[in-house]
Amino acid sequence: MLSQGVSSRASKLSRRDPTAPLRHFDPVLVGCTIALAFIGLIAVYSSTRGPGPDFSKTYLVKQSVFVVIGAGVFAVFAAVDYRKLHDWAWAFYGATTALLVLVVSPLGSTSNGAQSWFSLGPFQLQPAEFTKLSLIGALAFLLSEFRGDIDLRRLFALLATAGLPMALIMLQPDLGGTLILVVIVMAMLLVGGLPTKYIVALTMIGVIGVVGALNSPVLAEYQRNRLTAFVNPDDKSNQALYNIEQSQQAIANGRIAGQGLFDGPQTKLGFVPEQQTDFIFTAIAEQFGFIGASLLLSIYGLLCYRIWRIAQVARDSFGTYVCVGVLAMFAFSAFENVGMAMGIMPVTGIPLLLISAGGSSAIAAFAALGLVLNVHMRRFQ
Amino acid sequence: MDTTSPRLRMSILGVVVLACFVALFARLWFLQVLEAPELAIQATANRTRTVSAEAPRGRIFDAKGRVLVDNRTSLVVSIDRNQLKKVSNRSDLLGRLAEVLTTNGTPIKISTIEKRLADKRADPLGATPIAADVTEEVIHYLSERAEEFPSVTYERKTVRVYPYGMTASNILGYTGRITAETLKSLEPGTDSDGIVKEYQADSIIGLSGIEATYEKELRGTPGIELVQVDSRNRPVGTESYQPPKSGNDIQLHIDIEVQLRAEQALADRLAVLRGTPQKDGVMRKASAGSVVVLDPRDGGVVALASQPAYDPQEFANGITQERYNELQDINGASALIDRSITGLYSPGSTFKLVTATAALSNGLIDRTSSIYDDGVYSVGNPAQEFRNSGDQKNGTVDVVRSLAVSSNVFFYWLGDRMDGTTLIQDSATAYGFDQKTGIDLPNESAGYVLTKAEKKALQAKYPDAYPDGDWYTGDNVQLAVGQNVVVATPLQIARAYAALANGGKVFQPHVVWKILKPNSNLANDADVLRVIEPVVTRTITLPPDVRDPIVSGLSGVTGGLGTAASVFAGFDQSSFRIVGKTGTTQVDGKADTSLFASYGPASSPSWVVTAVMEESGYGAEASGEVSRRVYELLAAQALTGAGSATTGTRD
Repeated sequence: MLSQGVSSRASKLSRRDPTAPLRHFDPVLVGCTIALAFIGLIAVYSSTRGPGPDFSKTYLVKQSVFVVIGAGVFAVFAAVDYRKLHDWAWAFYGATTALLVLVVSPLGSTSNGAQSWFSLGPFQLQPAEFTKLSLIGALAFLLSEFRGDIDLRRLFALLATAGLPMALIMLQPDLGGTLILVVIVMAMLLVGGLPTKYIVALTMIGVIGVVGALNSPVLAEYQRNRLTAFVNPDDKSNQALYNIEQSQQAIANGRIAGQGLFDGPQTKLGFVPEQQTDFIFTAIAEQFGFIGASLLLSIYGLLCYRIWRIAQVARDSFGTYVCVGVLAMFAFSAFENVGMAMGIMPVTGIPLLLISAGGSSAIAAFAALGLVLNVHMRRFQ
Repeated sequence: MDTTSPRLRMSILGVVVLACFVALFARLWFLQVLEAPELAIQATANRTRTVSAEAPRGRIFDAKGRVLVDNRTSLVVSIDRNQLKKVSNRSDLLGRLAEVLTTNGTPIKISTIEKRLADKRADPLGATPIAADVTEEVIHYLSERAEEFPSVTYERKTVRVYPYGMTASNILGYTGRITAETLKSLEPGTDSDGIVKEYQADSIIGLSGIEATYEKELRGTPGIELVQVDSRNRPVGTESYQPPKSGNDIQLHIDIEVQLRAEQALADRLAVLRGTPQKDGVMRKASAGSVVVLDPRDGGVVALASQPAYDPQEFANGITQERYNELQDINGASALIDRSITGLYSPGSTFKLVTATAALSNGLIDRTSSIYDDGVYSVGNPAQEFRNSGDQKNGTVDVVRSLAVSSNVFFYWLGDRMDGTTLIQDSATAYGFDQKTGIDLPNESAGYVLTKAEKKALQAKYPDAYPDGDWYTGDNVQLAVGQNVVVATPLQIARAYAALANGGKVFQPHVVWKILKPNSNLANDADVLRVIEPVVTRTITLPPDVRDPIVSGLSGVTGGLGTAASVFAGFDQSSFRIVGKTGTTQVDGKADTSLFASYGPASSPSWVVTAVMEESGYGAEASGEVSRRVYELLAAQALTGAGSATTGTRD
């Protein structure tokens, strides 16, 4: 055990102290993060510069600012001991939930039919992105308190904690934002020791709920169309299919080696809608081909592996659960976003974390990875 | 086993995540490697648009290498009517456009623009031409201010130029924009490189004349530009470009000098006769006529004049409906019909060639057989009388004399004797009547020579138009002098006389002589892609005892007591003897149709000249006069050695 005085000079002493956080810095995790952010900037720029000759740098500049802010947030979330953050979990949860209430109030702004963000000058704040993180914190808090012993009452507490922000996001409505929370909750409950019978029951309720929602007026027509487009690829009346077709053609157009940076015709000419955000993967796949796209997926895979591994080696169960939540967040956003672009997943607006343009999701992603690094660095403390 | 063990649960989570990534990799491989070729084609299709540029059509030369149809570039300003509908300040836009055009050398009124926009004949999908032949300044101005002139477009069009103006317009034809129906049915030709000359909605095609019949040769290979467009269909670059290639050139048998002479002579004579009374007092309308000049040695068409005529130039940039209507009624006749191949006329006395051939070939008469012609011939009971023109009494006539002085009585007698047979009809068929000649121009008529059976069949089919289906001796008598039951085109008559001239070969007449490479040099034989060889469609047997009496009879027409002797007075026939026949056919209530069919020089027939003039009077006074003026030029050509097309030298 080190005294306060020693830890204030940690860098100097870490050589001698095998448990010092910086000794357990994870270069792979950080390397993956930097690589993804860099690829993200290329992807955002190439999909927003336009066909020329006057190339637009607006998105590139904005995204660079987000990456810089994100790097700062990453450092903060890695530096402050996560066990202190543990104590602030509910405050954070309360803050983001309050923001979710405000965003569906007249204070929030609407885009693409969803009232999901606050307008802050040139930037937009999307509380749903930070909700992922705060929900991970709150659930990790509860699960670590329960120590793997979850009865029905505790399960209700967990579901209520998760259900409140989900319901608020559903109100916007943001189907993708809700979906990712569902996956995060499922993963955390799984690892958090939810008895198998409850898992089975919840799964069945989930299946019935999805089928019911698809056949009821709860979902808007466009939402249903998006969700079912990938199942009925020949329904020409379905507008969502256009996006999927264009994006698949763009990906196919990349072939093995890609069309080259700034040379993807589908990307350059703006054939894929929402390309800098939801369909950003097509920009990578068309310009850099199978080689580039699989490299991106591999970096993602490696990152997920590191998070999974850190979850296993975490010093305490709170750290494990936080990592599991972040893992679910990254793995599912990659699977859903890339899978949607390739036509094997429904069309929902989930950003490809660290790649898609957008400040809130980028900053939240940096924060999440900062937390994971935090857990890794303090696994012997 | 503890199913809630964190280790197991972590493994399950790991496997699920791994499975997700495997699925992504598999799908990525499928899209980018396995399916890529197919999907990439779709991607190409949706980001490119094909822009086709019409290539210049091939040029058309006359037999002596003079350019009859050429091309030039015209700058055309058009308005896209569909886009114009979206323009809010329409009248302001049109006003500014009119001002730009007017101040830059193309004066135009807003009302004119409105009129062109309202033209129903313009392609509803494409842009409507507003002004043609605008200056470069206009284009420069508009291109710099494209956003101020929404819906206004401009292009460089290759348009046809006709150095000889209206001359030969009936042969050359005109071009125009393809119609939607034609676009579906017209089969594109291929150029010498095997590239298909595809048609587009705005393609220009030959609509009549040689332009139409040789469309596949004349059409150029369109330039195809694959333009890259963005998602809003705005062009951003070029993916591939195949430059346009001119169409094949064509050389005709037509001698433009002869053509010009024939047209002038015809127009002049019609103008002189128009509004004057013929012998019996009926006023001549003299509205229309035609002249055919053939080379009897190969069926080459040296000239085809038709009056009234139109200027194909008027069609080059699109023609208004009013003007189109006007052209269809010039002195009561349409300028858009080529009477030389489409007009149907009773051949009258020119048909005596056929009757004489039938009688001589079948031994009904010989050169010396004669009858006494007192001006009238009666057949049947009760007697029906057929008279000579003007009741002229010709006395004792044989076949030679009867042809020269035009004794109808002699031929009535022959018709009477051949009644009950189809000898005359068979002879007519042998000379190429009652069938299309197969000339390489569109809209040729076939004419007819009725037989007893055909008359019956006609009556059965059209009882109203043909109330009487019986064949009377009178019908055969009329047939013998080319009246009533026989009609023919001037070209058919000319072809029959060509067969007489060349000793019996009935040719398929050809306007086109050679197909040449694009942008050819006529002096270079290597530029000839192919020569249209003469085609003999049938041969009529004309032994000397048949041909000689006819030729000597027809030789008498232009001299001595011949019906056209006065017309050819002063024409030196010592070296250029003309063998011909006048014809005058009566049309109820109208002035007579005047015909003259002939060839010359008799010693070595090189030209057949046939003229037919509607409501113009006697054969000699109208058609004979016109033919003489044509022969004056031909005789001069023969003298200088600048003979007819095929044997002549090039300029």
